[in-house]
Formats: sequence, structure tokens, C-alpha cells
Amino acid sequence: MSSNYTRRDFLKVTSCSTAIAGISCMTGTLGSLGAQTISGSTKFVKSYCEMCTSRCQIEGKVVDGKSVFIQGNQYSKGMGTSVCARGAAGHSQLYDPQRLVKPLIRVGKRGEGKWKEATYEEALNLIAKKMMNIKEEYGPQAVLFSAKTGEHFSHLSTFSKAFESPNLFSHHSHCPIAYKVAFKHTYGTGLKRDFSKSKYILNFGHNLFEGINVSSTKKLAKAAASEKTKLVVLEPRFSIVAAKADEWHSVKPGTDLAFVLSLMHVWLRDGKYDKEFVQRYTVGIEHLIESTKTTTPQWQEKITGIKADVAERVANELYKAAPNCIIDWGHKTTTGQSEYQRTRAILIANALMGNIEKEGGLFFKKKAKTCNKLAGIDIAPTITNPDKHFQTPKTLRVDRASQKGSDNAFIARNQGVLMDIPKAILNKDPYEVKGWFMIRTNPLITVADPKTMKEAMNKLDFIVVTDIYMSETALMADVVLPEATYLERDEGIMDKSSSKPTYMIRNKIVDPINNTLAGHEIFRTLAKKMGIDKDYKWDNILQYRVQQAKGNDKLLKELMSKGYVSYSIPTLYYREEKYIKDFVNKYPNAKKYLDEDGLMGSMLDNLKTPSGKIEIFSQQVEEEFKGYGVPRDDNNMDVTRGYPYILTSGKSAIHTNGHTHNVPYLHMLMSDNPVWINPQTAKKENLKNGDKIYLENDIGKEKGTVFITEGIRPDTFFVYMGFGRESSDLKRANGVGTNQSKLLPLIKGPVCSTMVTNVGVKITKA
Amino acid sequence: MNNMWGSTAQYEVISWPWPIAVYLFLAGLSAGSIIIALLVKWNRHEKDSSSIWDAMVKAGAIISPLTICVGLLLLIVDLGKPLSFYWLLISYNFTSVMTLGVIALFIYTPLAFVFMGLIFEDTIKENKLLSIFSPIISYIKSFEVYAKRIEYVLFGLALIVGAYTGFLLSANMTYPLWNSPVLPILFLASGISAGIAGNILVGMLFFKSSINKESIKYLLILDLRVILLEIPLLIILFVGMLYAGGNAEVAAIQALTVGKWASIFWFGVIGFGLISPLLIAFTALRNHAYKIGFILINSMIVLAGVILLRFYVVYAGQLFTGA
Amino acid sequence: MSKKYRMIHDENLCIGCQACSVACRSENDVPDDIFRLQVRVETKGTFPNLKMDMRRQSCVMCEDAPCVEVCPTKASFQTNDGVVHIDESTCVSCKYCIVACPYNARFMNPVTKAVDKCTFCYSNRVKKGLDPACVTVCPTDALVFGDISDTSSEVYKKANENNLLYPKAHLGTKPKVAFVPNKRGVSYE
Repeated sequence: MSSNYTRRDFLKVTSCSTAIAGISCMTGTLGSLGAQTISGSTKFVKSYCEMCTSRCQIEGKVVDGKSVFIQGNQYSKGMGTSVCARGAAGHSQLYDPQRLVKPLIRVGKRGEGKWKEATYEEALNLIAKKMMNIKEEYGPQAVLFSAKTGEHFSHLSTFSKAFESPNLFSHHSHCPIAYKVAFKHTYGTGLKRDFSKSKYILNFGHNLFEGINVSSTKKLAKAAASEKTKLVVLEPRFSIVAAKADEWHSVKPGTDLAFVLSLMHVWLRDGKYDKEFVQRYTVGIEHLIESTKTTTPQWQEKITGIKADVAERVANELYKAAPNCIIDWGHKTTTGQSEYQRTRAILIANALMGNIEKEGGLFFKKKAKTCNKLAGIDIAPTITNPDKHFQTPKTLRVDRASQKGSDNAFIARNQGVLMDIPKAILNKDPYEVKGWFMIRTNPLITVADPKTMKEAMNKLDFIVVTDIYMSETALMADVVLPEATYLERDEGIMDKSSSKPTYMIRNKIVDPINNTLAGHEIFRTLAKKMGIDKDYKWDNILQYRVQQAKGNDKLLKELMSKGYVSYSIPTLYYREEKYIKDFVNKYPNAKKYLDEDGLMGSMLDNLKTPSGKIEIFSQQVEEEFKGYGVPRDDNNMDVTRGYPYILTSGKSAIHTNGHTHNVPYLHMLMSDNPVWINPQTAKKENLKNGDKIYLENDIGKEKGTVFITEGIRPDTFFVYMGFGRESSDLKRANGVGTNQSKLLPLIKGPVCSTMVTNVGVKITKA
Repeated sequence: MNNMWGSTAQYEVISWPWPIAVYLFLAGLSAGSIIIALLVKWNRHEKDSSSIWDAMVKAGAIISPLTICVGLLLLIVDLGKPLSFYWLLISYNFTSVMTLGVIALFIYTPLAFVFMGLIFEDTIKENKLLSIFSPIISYIKSFEVYAKRIEYVLFGLALIVGAYTGFLLSANMTYPLWNSPVLPILFLASGISAGIAGNILVGMLFFKSSINKESIKYLLILDLRVILLEIPLLIILFVGMLYAGGNAEVAAIQALTVGKWASIFWFGVIGFGLISPLLIAFTALRNHAYKIGFILINSMIVLAGVILLRFYVVYAGQLFTGA
Repeated sequence: MSKKYRMIHDENLCIGCQACSVACRSENDVPDDIFRLQVRVETKGTFPNLKMDMRRQSCVMCEDAPCVEVCPTKASFQTNDGVVHIDESTCVSCKYCIVACPYNARFMNPVTKAVDKCTFCYSNRVKKGLDPACVTVCPTDALVFGDISDTSSEVYKKANENNLLYPKAHLGTKPKVAFVPNKRGVSYE
């Protein structure tokens, strides 16, 4: 046992471990439940949402054991009482009669949808048996494990390591992998954005007004509405963030890289960049000067369609506003082959403006460890990972992630590349795969080319899907396990540090309907049944929480009652004199981290990059992928693949990816995703509003409905994602709308292995 | 932006559908028929029960109470909460045209029945079933001295009932086609023309009487006068809307040109309901051909035109808001 | 001393996300596919000169309310603070108020069969010192609610700092819901 808590804490905790999973029973100091009882039958419970992965902090009002109203958790200053439509609709999902609440075992053909109901005991026993059989006959690597990142992913990760399979997949490859990898290569870690104080924000499709993260959305909305901030948005369609911008430029899909390169060309040409910053904190500027020699504003105009003088002017305006400016990389934008270069270019552009650790710019997370070190005292408790001793199997993965020489060389072992799964299964390359265990994921909607994915799934012996609805992927399973929704489960502590050390926790708001289990309960039970749980140091979530908190019951108690705990420190930017003064005043110990100039620049001298500096040029990348070491035109900005129109997709404020389309409240608001078509294009193709059409390319053919709008480029189409469902148990969403994944090829963007979501199509009338 | 705010069906619903249109027609017909009946009674008191005038008084006396009853029943059934209708009689809001209408009808309806009772006094006394009401009739007859005054009150109330249907609609600022002071006058005029036509039709069909050329000529001219009044009213209504600009102008143009309601207006209301009776009347008058058939057909056409006018105003008003 | 309630919808902060609509539904048990509140997102102009207006579609609590004026049974009535209520028991559902409302704010509730509309969450929230549900959850704080006669209130400050427009002000209904019009975007319609 290698944890820091005392034997007394351990006894306190084990006395509770006999409690039934899902019910919080605490003795002594952990006695107060997370619920704050107001009257006999009304209580307010603090937790965090899971309707999307922003995971905003919420407060649920529970009346007579029923969740009736959800709003933001006021303890989180960034939230206040705000919550978005999906968060507010949490109980609509919770009480949806179409939700899965009983384990199902397949009786017909795979995908037929014939099931027999079973108990968790039966289902889990069957899973344990089948999985161990596969492990015996083919080895543990024959089972894939995948989930969207989040707490359940951590638990799945532990489970997969206990099973000894190296094939763990997160959703990164079809989502944020580009900026995750780009950040790692450039800054070593991720950076946060200070929208509130920024004077100029150049936004590359970062649609915070539809892909909502309440805290960030609120800040950006106020900045955009303020006269003090200029917001410039580059986006092919007139989205809501584009509508709030001071300037919107309709960039041709896939070509954002050209615009960024032209900005850098202007800056480097005119010497308009933070030379001191670049000198001290970066390596490789010479390479960038070389690669942007010819990427003039005129050059980019031919590629993006944005006028040369706009690029020239924006470059100058950014420089003028620097360092209180942000060039916002967004989430995933072009997701074409040039996504890595685009994101790297943007990250470096920020460095050129010298906005790192400046007010209104970018900053590193100020986690507890860093703050405690600087202050010399323990301002905030730290938490730990009770499962960190579980070893990642270093055996060969089916996607060869982290393998030198493979195209997934820079993909972490615990992220993987989902798009490589079908061919690995179909070609039995590098070895046979027989099983797939999934939770909180629906690849048949969210990953490219579902037809090929289905084909691959049909070759498997055993598929387990854990979900709350009978999704398209669940239909393909051998065993479907219902999971308790986020409102029905206790989970662990999450580090939410931003400008201050912060933690949040998920507290159960209502008891699970029909005793459905949480993901962590499922994995823990399975591990026990399979006899692979020797390394688990906890039996239930309560113990897990206690271990995370390192026995700190003050922290736990606060989290259980408030859901969100933030440790107030003076805001600190390492390169802002005013802020440093305030910090040092409060924590004189921090003086020893000051440079001669009175700033804390030394905090940026040893980053987690190979050179320790901000890498404008990355040697390691250049070695694996020639020509990708520094941002340059990679000749990959054409996403059309020979077709006349480009199909793009994006987030809506009403739905989340493939998740919420059957939720009653949300389905009521938006039940279809008609295809956005420009009037000129409609005229050319002889289309009227409401016409039925097909979008087609070499990957597939998908139905759609015409929506004529001026808000999209003539050469582009747009659909909100997550529609076009094909599961008859999703009674509301089934059969309606367009599933754009059917038109996406299973290709990857180089270096970061991102899924490609902008693709060429042709259109025909139905 | 494609719809992400949900169904807009509730905003497109026709809140006052056909039952209201039919009620407006019936109320107008009821008021109009009693007005004509009373006018005829006051101006042409011939005791000869087989003359057309007496038949018209009888027709009015029976049409008026029956149509208003059917109309009110239709209204109650059309209510979203029909079983709560009694609240309309208990709780009043004097700023509401509807309350004023309820009060007016509260007095008008029984009075119309009283009038019917008095006009058909003999028939009631002779009929086995209806003779139950004889005592009531006799009781009412004892107030004979007030008869004239009661008739004047009934006449006034009928004018109110005929006009209030227009005020009901015109008191709304939402629908440009309704929001015009012309509407009450138009509806009253239309109601009176329906009264004339209805009384003639029922009088000639059920209260068999002989009719001479003089009477027919007089009736045709009477009808002509009312129709000729309706046409300028309609013109003023639409011209007013066009000059008002904004929503009203757009609504007027839409109502006159878009879809089936525009057709109903031009072919039904104008062509059928106003122009054809005019043509029939002019032709008959010019050629001095006073056939009974003309009168009957004319009356039916006029009544159809009045119904179509109500339907048109009610539906087109709600559909074409000019928004 | 009666309160002068005002609600301000800042169309610049509003992102049309419908959180308000969902919160309203939750708080007031609004029947399926019926809405007390919608935010209409209207794209105007010609590519690429576009603007997007966010328009709140809901009861504006008129001071001189046509719905109160026309209700035959006084089921639609106003309290001293100017809030317009509906007494379900005396409502006969004649729909005169639905027809009379220039803001299309009222509808027939298919469950109670009476007429229904936004109530500013008066009895369930405002009376308890809370903001209406829509105001509470708005992710960008685009909605502000309170007593405008209280100079320390957010509503007073917002009214002071911005040019407020009242919907269909020319009708003379004196609505209590105002909006700060959208400043962004280009449209030459």
C-alpha cells in the first residue's frame, strides 16, 4: 500500500466499504452527506454535468427524490447559476422512458436488435467468462477498450491495464488530438486563454457559442460584446460566434493554415513580433523565417479567398494589441490533412506576439503543486491518482501508437487512433483482434466511415457496449450494459485548476433508476470476477475518493457539499509585474523565483519539451515526419478530393455530438439537421428549400434535406452533427437527418493522426 | 439558422376557426332578421296574413331567436373549456367587447324569444305541444302597453348585436384585417342584408304567401341598397389598410392576392355574394321581369355571400398578419 | 410600495442557445412541444454581409395589456406590480386573449385546456426572491430581471448603461420586457 493516508483513515474508510455501492455511508468526520436539506422533501445537490465534455459545475434541485431543476453551481464563480440547454435538460434524459435500464444479452444475429433481458450478475459473469477466454486463446491484446475521455475513461484505463491489453483508445483521434499533440510539441503542456482581458482575439472557428463551455462562453460573450475587445472570426459558415464578431471572414474550409502563415510572414518581414520573448524562450525562429518567406497575404488570398489587405491589416492590428491578444486555435477546425501545421502555426503565432503569461493572453494552469511551491506554503491540497501504479502494457498496439517509424509515432499509448481500428481488425494486422469493450462512445456515429467500422465489428467475437441509450454501436454488441446517468452516480475528484487551484467532484443527485450501475462499479466488479483485481487498492468509489484526496477529509467534505472548491490566490501571470507584486506581497517566499527584472520568466525556461524551450522548430517531429518540424505550406489544404463541394459539420448549442438527439427536451428543440446550402448553389443545382437530396462521394451516399441560407459559402455545405440515426430504439431520433460520418474517409492528418471531417461531396436530387 | 427553437405550430394555429365564423354569420343573421322584421312590422301593418310582409315578420321572429341560440351553442362548444362557460355569465369585465356582447345577448336572446312568442301567439295556442307555453305568452301579453318600447329595445339590441360582432374583431391590434373601424359597420350592413335575404327566403318558403310585382320590386331595391353600401365599405377597409403602411399594407396585399382565401374573396364574397345579386337585381328591374324564382335564388346567393364574407375575414385576418 | 419589474434581453450577449427555453420548461412543467418561451435566431443579409438577430418570443407583461382588456371573465388579470396572471379556474378558453395579444405570447395549454403563457415564474420563483428560471440559467447573462425603481439593482444599471428598445412600442402596450438591440453584423435590408 503506497498511499499517504494513515492507518486510522484506512480503518475509517474500510468500515464503510461494506456499504452498498451507490449509497454514501460515512462515519465520523465524513458524516455529512453531499445533500443540503432545505425542507423535508427538497434538497440541492452539487455535481458536474456530463451532457457534454465541458463538464460544467451544476446544482440539482431534488424534490421528493426527483430531479426537477438544474442550474449552475454558484460556488463556481465562472458558472454562477448559468447552465446551457443540454445541462438544463439533464433530467429529461434521466427520466426518458426510452433509456436503457436493464442489461441485455444478444439472442439474434449481430445488429438485428434481438435481446434477452438479464441481471447485472448474469451479464457481468458472461462478460468475464468471454473476455478471459479471449485472453487465454489470443492474448489480452486481442481485446480493444475505448471510451471518450473523462472519469469513466480513467476507470476503463485501469481496467484495461489490469486486463493487460495495450489497446486503449480515447476519443482524442476524432476530436482534440491535433491541438493536444501540437501543444505537447510546442509548449510541452496545454495553455489556457484569458478572454476577459484580451484586446484582440483572432478566432479560428472556436465556436464557444454553440460548442458551449459555460465558463468560457460567458467570458467570450462579454468580451465580444464589449467595445474594449475586437473579435475577428475565421469560419466557413456564419455561425453564432461569427455573428458576434466585429469581423467575420469566410475562410475556405481546410485553408486556415495559409492565413496564419501569411500573418507570420508579415510579422517576420516587418520585424513586428516580440523579439525579446522569442530570443529568450523559443528555439527555431530561423526555420520559421525560411518557411514563411513566400507565404504572403497575396499568396494566401488565392488559397483562402480572404483579401490580401485583410491579412495585412489583421497582422498589424494583432501586433498593435500584443501582448494582450489571443490567436485562438479553437478545438478542431479544418480537420483536414493540414490540421497539425495549422494548429502549430497558431500556437507559434501566439509566441511571436509574446502573449504567454500575460494578461489577456495565454497562461499555464496554476495547479496546487505549482502554487504551493511558489508560495512556500500549502495553499491548496494536492490530489493523486489511486491507480497510477497500474502499468501501461508496452506491447505492440494495433495502431502502433507511440511506435517510432509509424505514422502514429506521436500518439500517446492511452489515446490511440480510432480510425486505424477497422483495418487492423479486417486485415488481422498486426494480430487478430477478437473483442471490444466500450463505454461512453458511439463510433458508428462519431467516427468516419461507419460502414467499414461495422464490417470490422462483424468480424469480432465479443463486443460489450455500456451506454444509457440503445445507440447504433450498442445494437452491434453481444452484451449491452446500461449505465447509471451522471445524475445517478458518485464519482471521483477532478482537477479543474485554471488561474487558481480548483477541484470538482461528481455527487449523486438521485438514486439510480432500476439500480443501474456506474461505469466504475461495472469495471471494478468485472475485474474481481475475472480475478485480475489484485492491484486495485479500492473497492468502491468512496475509497477511491478518499485515496484521491490522500485522506484529506476536509477537502472531501467540502467537495461533497459544495461540489466545487477553488483556492483563492492572487491571479498570477509570470510576466506581468502588477500581478507578481500582489502575489509576492501575499507570499514573500515567491521572491526567490523572481528574475532580475522582477518577473517570473524563469518559470518558462524549463518547459516539458525536448529543448526545454518553446519549440518553433521541433527536431523530434522533423525526424519522424520530414518537413513537419516547422509550420509551412504542406500542400495539403485542398480537402475536396476532386468533388465540387466541401461538406463541413459542427456543434449546435442544443445537442452534443452523437449523444443527446433522443433526449425529449432537446429533441423538441431541434429534431433535424438540414443541409445548409447557399442560394447561388441552390439555383445552380436547381434546389428548393425542403427538397430531399443525396450527398455522395467515394466513401458513401447519405440523404439530406435542403436548407437554403446565406450563412454558408457557395462552395460549401454544412450540417450539425449527430443526426441520421439508425437505431429503432431511439424512437425520436431514428431515421431523421444526415449522418455526415458516412461520407468521411478513414484517413488521418499527418503527425497528429486527426480524423478528417471536411470532405468533398457531390449533390443530387433524391 | 435552421430551426433550433422548436415547433412553431402554436404560433400558427388559427385560434378562432370556423365555429367563430359561423357564429358571426348567425349573430349577424339573427340581428339582421329581427331588424328587418321590426322595420317591416312598424311600416307595413297589413293584417292580411298572406302578404309577403307579414311572412317576413314571421320569418324574422323565428329566424332571430333560433339562429342566435344555435350560434351561442356553437360558441360554447368551441370554447377550450366548454363546461366552464357559466363563468362568462358570472364574472364580467366591462372593458371587454366580449363581456358587453354577453350582456347584450343576455337580454336580446330572451327578448327575441318573447317576440317570437307574441308573433306566433295563435299558432302556439293551437298546437298541442307548444300550448304549454300559452300561460307565459298570456303573462307577457299583459304587458302589452309596453310592447312598442320593448320592440324599440329589441331593435336597439339587435343593432348592438349586429355591430358587436365587428367590434369583437376590430378591438384587436394583432390582425390588421380586423383592426379597422369599418368592420362593425360592414358586419352590420352585411347582417342586415342577410336578414333581408333570410326573411324573404324563409317567408316565401314556409309562410306561404302570394306576392305581387310591387313587393318583389321593392325587395330587390332594398337588397340592392344594402349591397351597394357594402361595396364601398369593403373598399374603404382595404384602401385604409394599404395607406396605413407597414404590416397593414403587407397584410392587405397578401389577403387580396395569396392562395385560396384571395380566390374566396374575389369569387365568393365579391363575385358571388355582391356582384351576382346586383346583376340579378339590375336585370330583373330593367327587364321588369319579376319572377319569384329570381327572388329565391337571389336570397340564397346573398346569404352565401354573407357566410363567405365572415369566413374570409376570420381566416384571412388570422393568416395574413403582414408580419 | 409596489415593484416595477423589468426584464432586459441583451441581444448582444444572447447566443440563442435555448437554455432559457429548457429551464422554463423544467420549472413550469410546460407540456411537450409547447413553448412559453423561444428565442428566434434570424440570419439576415446576403453572403458575406450578414447579421444574426436573437429575438425573444415570450410574454412581455404589458402595462396596458390587451389580453387583460379583452378577457370576458377577468381570468386574465393584473396585480399591483403590473404582472399579468391567468386564473385557470375562471378561464373559459374563449381565446380572445390569444387573438388580442400582439406578441403572440399566449397559447392554449393542451393539458389544462386553459390559456397559458410566461408568468415571469412569479409564484414559484419571484415571490421567493429568486429570478425567473430563464434569467437564472442564461449562460451569457444576457437576461437581467428586477425592480427598476431600485437604483442598486442590476436592471437599473443595465437600463442606465444601454439604449433599451421595447418590442412593438408603437402599439402603446408599455411592455416590461425590453431589449438591447444587436450591434454586430452587416445587413443592407
